[in-house]
Amino acid sequence: MLEHLGPELFNGLVLGAFYAIVAIGLSLIMNLTGTINMAHGSFMTLAGYLAFAMISRGTSFWFALLVAPLLTVIVGVVVERTLIRPLYKREPFYSLLLTFGLSLVAEEVFHLIWGANGVPLSPPANLSGTVQLGFMSFPAYRLFIAGALVVAIVALALFLTRTRFGLRLRAAVQDTEMIAALGTNTQVLYMVNFGLGIFLAGIAGVLAAGLLGLSPTSGNALLMPAFVTVIIGGMGSLFGSIAGGLLIGFAISLTTLFIPAASEVSMYVLMAIVLMIRPRGLFGEEGIFG
Amino acid sequence: MTPALRTALVIGGLLALAPLVLPIVHLDVSIVSEVLLFAIAAMSVNLLLGYTGLPAFGNAAFFGLGSYGAALSIKYAHVHFIEAVLVGTLAGLVGGLILGPFLLRRRGIYFGLLAIAFGQVFYFIAYRFTSVTGGEDGMNFARPYVGFPNVHFSLNEMSFYYVALAIYLGIVALFSVVAVSPFGRTLVAIRQNEVRVRYLGINTDRFIFVALLISSTIAGLGGAMFALLINFAYPLTLDWHQSGDFVLIMILGGAGTIWGPLVGATIFVIGKDIISTITPLWQIFLGALFIACVLGFPKGILGSIAAFRDRRALVGAASAPDAQTPLPRGTS
Repeated sequence: MLEHLGPELFNGLVLGAFYAIVAIGLSLIMNLTGTINMAHGSFMTLAGYLAFAMISRGTSFWFALLVAPLLTVIVGVVVERTLIRPLYKREPFYSLLLTFGLSLVAEEVFHLIWGANGVPLSPPANLSGTVQLGFMSFPAYRLFIAGALVVAIVALALFLTRTRFGLRLRAAVQDTEMIAALGTNTQVLYMVNFGLGIFLAGIAGVLAAGLLGLSPTSGNALLMPAFVTVIIGGMGSLFGSIAGGLLIGFAISLTTLFIPAASEVSMYVLMAIVLMIRPRGLFGEEGIFG
Repeated sequence: MTPALRTALVIGGLLALAPLVLPIVHLDVSIVSEVLLFAIAAMSVNLLLGYTGLPAFGNAAFFGLGSYGAALSIKYAHVHFIEAVLVGTLAGLVGGLILGPFLLRRRGIYFGLLAIAFGQVFYFIAYRFTSVTGGEDGMNFARPYVGFPNVHFSLNEMSFYYVALAIYLGIVALFSVVAVSPFGRTLVAIRQNEVRVRYLGINTDRFIFVALLISSTIAGLGGAMFALLINFAYPLTLDWHQSGDFVLIMILGGAGTIWGPLVGATIFVIGKDIISTITPLWQIFLGALFIACVLGFPKGILGSIAAFRDRRALVGAASAPDAQTPLPRGTS
């Protein structure tokens, strides 16, 4: 059993990176606007299906990996401007309810267009082998995913901390009224912020489709662990989401190895323990959303 | 006789006579039982969300625990009807006792996030613990005898309906009392401004915990009755989609109102029944209903009617009804 430990831990790392990137997107949207985006999983699935549609029409995987998330962002921004925007002034649970309704509609639409059963989205041939790294061999696609997700997270961190726009975004999380009074158009912030979260979801959606399969509900399967990630890592903390995602990834991969039946429950046990010790999550800041 | 009591008598009377008109509109009596049980579940959400202002998006956990409590006790302990309902109700209460201390730690959307996430634990347990719960297939059973001493009969659909009606009206009575009690008033005050309530020296955590326990117990009772109605318990009753349905039913009817959940449940359950026979796309209608409800009439049907009446009464007065508070303040 122990010889499986290395590969299983690596699987946990990849899984954890997915949870982290989905959680970061959720957290971005939640922090600025108080919206719990229940349709986040649907946007992932949408990106996956768009990539599938493009690849089956002959485009390359790389093209689809970039363009499918961008198309998803367009859909996301339209949804945000038309449906979610009117709710910013109301209690946050209305936007939760609305995005929940959206996810129900989306699931059925995917079902209608692409069928109830999963469709195959295979990664490109040069990523289908394994890579030998001395002590053990890694499946190339998983290695690529881990790398791509790290790049995406680092790029986001640089954007948030090193650009004027990123600084405004972070300032708006602290005090939206003040940043508006200083002359920033907060509606643009809301829109770009939402698009950013959806872009991360889109990339994760395309990558996950090649690894975990693609079906009308496949994105939603990643949504619940991402919620748990946000809770464990702490709201409003990029680093928290990464740590939380990896923790859950390892917890799930280890329980899959030793007690398979408890693989989902393990993350809830982890969440309960973290909440008992630190109610605001590992890296959460006090005062954000009580 | 107060107007509220008169309304209750009229609605109770109409519900009692409902089975007589059902054959005319080609509806089964079991579907009206389902309406009542979903109304009960929505009332459990109402206490937390409508009155106290906590986004209770995990109440399916308690509802499903009630279902499984009843089903497991019938299957493994061969209990009678009444005991099965009691076990299910207790399972809901225990669920509240377990999750309460965690949920209490946060407010606002963070409470909603915790409720969604923690609510899902029981789904995975039921889904994965196949040897006991039957996993994805769920567990079916024969509806047990009622179990009064020396009386041995099983409820048919008609008598089941009247049992469900009695339970529903009992919970309505409980809510009517709670809504005007100091306890209920405190919950509404917590929704409006929890910090101020705390300044008055009130331990709001304790009030919210008690509200959560009442809510989970009622949801458990509804869930137990639901399992006994369909003679089946299945994991999706514990799922967050189910929680969303309960919230929708409550918002649709009117948050913070006594009869809102019944109105919402009637539209939801009967609408689902009718639309499902016409098209397999019920879920699109359901999603559209969520969106329309949130954007179009967030106060729900009864809330909108009450607001309309308030506006008529206010004609000539200086201020319009408070538009900042989306939840209706009254408890009609």
